[in-house]
Amino acid sequence: MGELAIIIPFLPVLSALIIFVFMPKARKGAARISVFLTLLTFLLALVELVTYALGGFSRVEIIGTLWGSIWLDPLTLIMWSFVCGISLLVHMYSVRYMVEEANYTRFFALLDLMTATILFMVSAADLITFLVAWFLVGVVLYFLLGHDTDRPAAGRYAFWTQITYRAGDVPLWLAAFILIRTYHSISLPDIFERLQMHSHVPAFWGLSVPELVGFLLAFAAFARSAQFLLHGWLPYTMDGPTPVSALMHAGIVNAGGFLFNRFFPVFEHASIVLHFVFIVGLITAVVGSAMMLIQNDVKRSLGYSTMGQMGFMVMECGVGAFALAVFHLIAHGFFKASLFLGAGNIIGEAREHDGVPSDPVYTSIVERRPAKPSRLPWLAAAALTIIVPVVVLSLSHLFVSTRLLHEQGVIILLFFGWVTGAQALFATHKMTHSNPWRLMGGILGSFVLVVIGYTLISHYFGHFLYPHGGAYQLYNAASINIVYFDVLVIILALLFVGAWALTFLADSSGWWDRADQGRWRGVYLAMYALLSRELYVNDLYARLTQVLLNGARRLNVLLRWC
Amino acid sequence: MHIIIWIIAGALLPWFPFSWIFNRLLVSAPGAWARALAVLVLPQLGLLLLLKSGAWMSLGQEMPQTLRALALFTAILYAYRAAGTRDVQIWARLMATSGLSLTWLLVGLLPRYWDVQFFVLAWSIPAALMLLWAGILTQRTGGSYLGLTGGFARVMPRLSVLMSLTALAATATPVFPNFFALLQAMASLPISWMPLLLLVLLLWGWTVGRLLQDLLFGIYRGEPVDDLSVGGTWLGGLTLGVFALVGLFWGGIWIIN
Repeated sequence: MGELAIIIPFLPVLSALIIFVFMPKARKGAARISVFLTLLTFLLALVELVTYALGGFSRVEIIGTLWGSIWLDPLTLIMWSFVCGISLLVHMYSVRYMVEEANYTRFFALLDLMTATILFMVSAADLITFLVAWFLVGVVLYFLLGHDTDRPAAGRYAFWTQITYRAGDVPLWLAAFILIRTYHSISLPDIFERLQMHSHVPAFWGLSVPELVGFLLAFAAFARSAQFLLHGWLPYTMDGPTPVSALMHAGIVNAGGFLFNRFFPVFEHASIVLHFVFIVGLITAVVGSAMMLIQNDVKRSLGYSTMGQMGFMVMECGVGAFALAVFHLIAHGFFKASLFLGAGNIIGEAREHDGVPSDPVYTSIVERRPAKPSRLPWLAAAALTIIVPVVVLSLSHLFVSTRLLHEQGVIILLFFGWVTGAQALFATHKMTHSNPWRLMGGILGSFVLVVIGYTLISHYFGHFLYPHGGAYQLYNAASINIVYFDVLVIILALLFVGAWALTFLADSSGWWDRADQGRWRGVYLAMYALLSRELYVNDLYARLTQVLLNGARRLNVLLRWC
Repeated sequence: MHIIIWIIAGALLPWFPFSWIFNRLLVSAPGAWARALAVLVLPQLGLLLLLKSGAWMSLGQEMPQTLRALALFTAILYAYRAAGTRDVQIWARLMATSGLSLTWLLVGLLPRYWDVQFFVLAWSIPAALMLLWAGILTQRTGGSYLGLTGGFARVMPRLSVLMSLTALAATATPVFPNFFALLQAMASLPISWMPLLLLVLLLWGWTVGRLLQDLLFGIYRGEPVDDLSVGGTWLGGLTLGVFALVGLFWGGIWIIN
C-alpha cells in the first residue's frame, strides 16, 4: 500500500504536466484528463482512508534521499480525502462554468497543481517538504486568483493574498528553524518525539521553545486563515473565478486549522499560546460575522462569513478542541463550496426577480423590521431560548462521554453553542406564523438532531485523529484557573442575556428610529462609515504601502538606480 | 593588501557600498547579452579572488558580526529598492545584488569551492535570464519599463510566462535552487539574526508581486508587438526546468552540510 500512497499526490502533478506540455490547446481533452485524474486521486485517497480505518497504522514513506517524505497518519488521510473531494467538485463544476474563458486548459493545469501542492502540504513528514508545499500554495493560488489577466483588480487582489501569505511564511520559517536547531532533525515525527522528552528548553524572552514556536506557528496560521488584521485579502478573493473562490473558501483558507493540528505536540506545552489563539479567534469570529451582516454583495458576504467561521475554527483550537476544528473545517468546506457554486444561480435568480421576496424570515432577519407581536407567549419563548440549548448540548455530551463535561474547552464550546442556538430561537420568536408552536417545535427538533449528530461525530472523530489521548492533553493545556474561568463564563452569560434583553427592548420601543434622527445620528453615521469601510484595515495597509514605496523610489533616485 | 581584496571582492560579489560599483558595471555593459554574461561572471571572479587570496578562509568558522550585518543590510536595502522600480532591467540588477550579497553569510562555512560557486550561480542564473528577457522586451517595445503599457500576458503570453517564472526563480520560490540556497543561508545564522533574513524573504515577496502585477494584468495599451518565438520559449522553459530540477537535487546538500 505504501507505493499507492506515494502515487496519490503525484497524480495531479502528472495531470498538470500532461496538460502544460501535450495539451495546451486541447480544451476538451485537458478537462477530461484533469477530471479523470482528480477522480482517481480521490478514490485512491478513500481507499487509503478505509484501509487505515480497518486496522491500519501510521507510517512515514520516504520519497527523496535527503528530504521529501509523507506521513500517512489519520490527519493526512482525512485531509487527503477532503481536499480531493472538494477539488473533484470544483473540477467538475469548472468544466462547463469556465468553458467560455480564455486559458481554459491552463486553468485546469493550475487547479491540478494546487491540488497536488495541498496534498503534499497536508502529508509532509519533514520540515523541508512542508515549507516547500506551504510556500507553493501561495504561489499557485496567486495565478489562480489572477486567472483573468485583463482585469487589473484581479491582479491587485491576487497580490493582496500573495503578500499576506508571504507574511505568514516568515514566522513559519523561523519556527521550522528553531525546531531543527533545537531537536537536530527535520523529520516531524522525530521532532515531536524529542519534544515530548525535552519540552522545557528555554528560548527567548522567558519563553520555552514550544511556546515560542507555538506563537510563530499561530501567526502563520492567522495569515492563512484570515484572522483579524490579516483578513483584508479574504473577502476580495471573490475577484477570482467562482470555482477558485469555492476552492479557496472551502479548502485553502482552512490551512490554519490544519497547521494547529499537525503541530499539536507543540501546543500541548504552550498553554499561553492557546489562550492567545482563543482571543484572536474570538475577535475574528465577532468581526467577521458583524461585517458579513452589512454586506450587500452576496459573494463578499460569503467571504466575511468564511472569516467568521475561520475565527470560530481558530477559537476551537484555542480551547483545545483541535479535532473539532478539523471536523469544523471539513463541514465548513463542503457547505461553503456548495454556497459558492450556487451563488451564481442565486445572482441569476435575483436578476430575474428583482422584487424583495415577501418571506417572513427575510423580512425579520434581513430587513430588520421592528419585532411584531408574537403569538408565542414571551415567557415560554424566553424559557425555551435559554434552557433548551443548555439541556440539549449538555445531554448530548454526557451521552458520549461524561469526562468531556469536565473540560473547560468543552464548556466554552457549549456556551457558544448555547449563544448561537438561543439566538436562532430568539429570531424565531420574533416571526409571525400561523402556528408558532409548530414552527418552534420544528426548529428545536432540527437543533437537537444537529447537536447530537455534531457531538457524536466530533467525539468519535477526535478518537480517530488522536487515538493516544492527545485530545485530552490539549484540553488540559488550554485550561485556565478555575476561579477565573467561572467568573469569565458568568460575565459572558450576563453580557449576552443583557444584550438580548436590550435588543428586544430597543426593537419593541423603536429606539433605533430615534437614534437615527436625534443627537446620536453622528455616532450612528460614524459607525456606519467604520463598518462599510471594513474598519479601515485595508486603507491603512494601502497607505503604509504607499509610504514605503515613496521611500524606495527616493532611495533609488538618491543612489542613481545603482 | 587584504583591504584592497575585500573592496574589489565587494564590488564583484556585491556588498554595500561597493554594490554600487557592481550595478554600475552591469549598466555599462553593452546590450542584454553582455549584461547577462556580466552578472554570471563578475560574482564568480569576486569569489575566485576571495578564495585564491585566502581572504575567505582567513576569517575562519566564526563570522565577524559586522560582515554579517553588512551582508544582511545589503540584501534588505536592495530588495526594498527593487520594490520601487517598474523597470525589468533595473529590477533584475537590484534583485541579483540582494541575493548575491547573501553569499557573504557563508564565509568559512562551506569547505568545498564548488558549493559556494553553486550558491552564487543560484542567484546569477535567474538574474541573467531576467536581463535577457528585459533585452527582448526592450527590442520589442522600446524599453523594459512596465508602467506604461501593462497587460503583456495577453499580447506576449510566451515571454510573460518565462518572465514570471524567472521572477519567481529570482525570489527564492521552491523548487528553484535559490529556495534551498536561502535555507542554507538561514542555517548559517544564529536564531537571533534569522528575522533579518526573513525580512529579505518578505521584501522579495513584495517586489515579485508588484512586478507580476505590472507585467501581467490590465489591458495592453501599446503598439502591436511580436511574442517570443516558439523555439525561444522552449529553450527558456528548458533552462528554467533544468534549473528547477537541479534545485530539487541540490536541496539535499544543504541538509548534509
